Amino acid sequence: MPDLDRNLALSHRHQEMENQALGIEMSERDDVGMIDLRGKADDKAFMKNAATVLGVELPTDPRTSIKKGGIDILWLSIDQWLITTPLKSHDKTLSALTKKLTKNHALVCDMSDARSIIRLSGDRVREVLIKGCSFDATQPDFKPGTVRRLLFAEVAALAHFVDSNPDVIDLYVFRSYANYVWEWLLQTAHEDAGVGLFQVQDAPVV
Amino acid sequence: MLLIKCPICDCEGDETDFHYGGEGHIQRPTSSNPDKVGDEAQRDYLYVRKNPRGLHSERWLCERGCGKWFHALRDTATMVISKTYLITDKPPAELKKAGKK
Repeated sequence: MPDLDRNLALSHRHQEMENQALGIEMSERDDVGMIDLRGKADDKAFMKNAATVLGVELPTDPRTSIKKGGIDILWLSIDQWLITTPLKSHDKTLSALTKKLTKNHALVCDMSDARSIIRLSGDRVREVLIKGCSFDATQPDFKPGTVRRLLFAEVAALAHFVDSNPDVIDLYVFRSYANYVWEWLLQTAHEDAGVGLFQVQDAPVV
Repeated sequence: MLLIKCPICDCEGDETDFHYGGEGHIQRPTSSNPDKVGDEAQRDYLYVRKNPRGLHSERWLCERGCGKWFHALRDTATMVISKTYLITDKPPAELKKAGKK
């Protein structure tokens, strides 16, 4: 159960943001809890019970997510999902899922304090993302709803594309890496560190 | 750098997004009585590996996609991965054919 006034990994870093000249906006999400859900996608009873509690079917297509109310269900693997819920209804969802799935071969686990979520928003988010990983975030099928695990700045991360125009991407990293990733982003997302990939560029002077 | 595509989640990535797991289809000498497993059979199971020039079956972990293990058929001479298949699948026919040469 996440503590309502819990100590977030990056809460001490927010006050310094006013002095930073960044090309994007970034902040740590403090309003959601996370639930790890495991079970087999071909187990009809499990899928049905999970859908009953969440109000929507679990996504089975690779690297997709579904939004229902305040709940986001992220596909992680063929037998694993990450559910982010608003903090206020987190306990309710968690206990309802646990109760409903007791007779199924499934696992429900509270992971709220295992990871930190850094929300990146702005027109240069994709540019910042491709600086840190081998994944090509410029390709058109990387659209809102897409979930992609990454090796980002040499640490394990997960990118959830939330919205476009302007782009909003949630970056999930392990809590112990959060400070390092924040530091890395401060450098890489500096307004003078742009590569100008998504803007009209002047022709080079001959 | 190898470009690999996971057969389970269709994630395409370079070698660093995956993890190499050694030769595929290695079978443990089965016996309910360990005394009946000879030293040579145990040695072969633990240490002796094929080192072919040509088709080689190997295990890979899709570390940045679905987190599942799968098999890949790679040509050790050209580095071309001709086929990927599930971890529970039996060795494909072309691998057996290549071994007989």
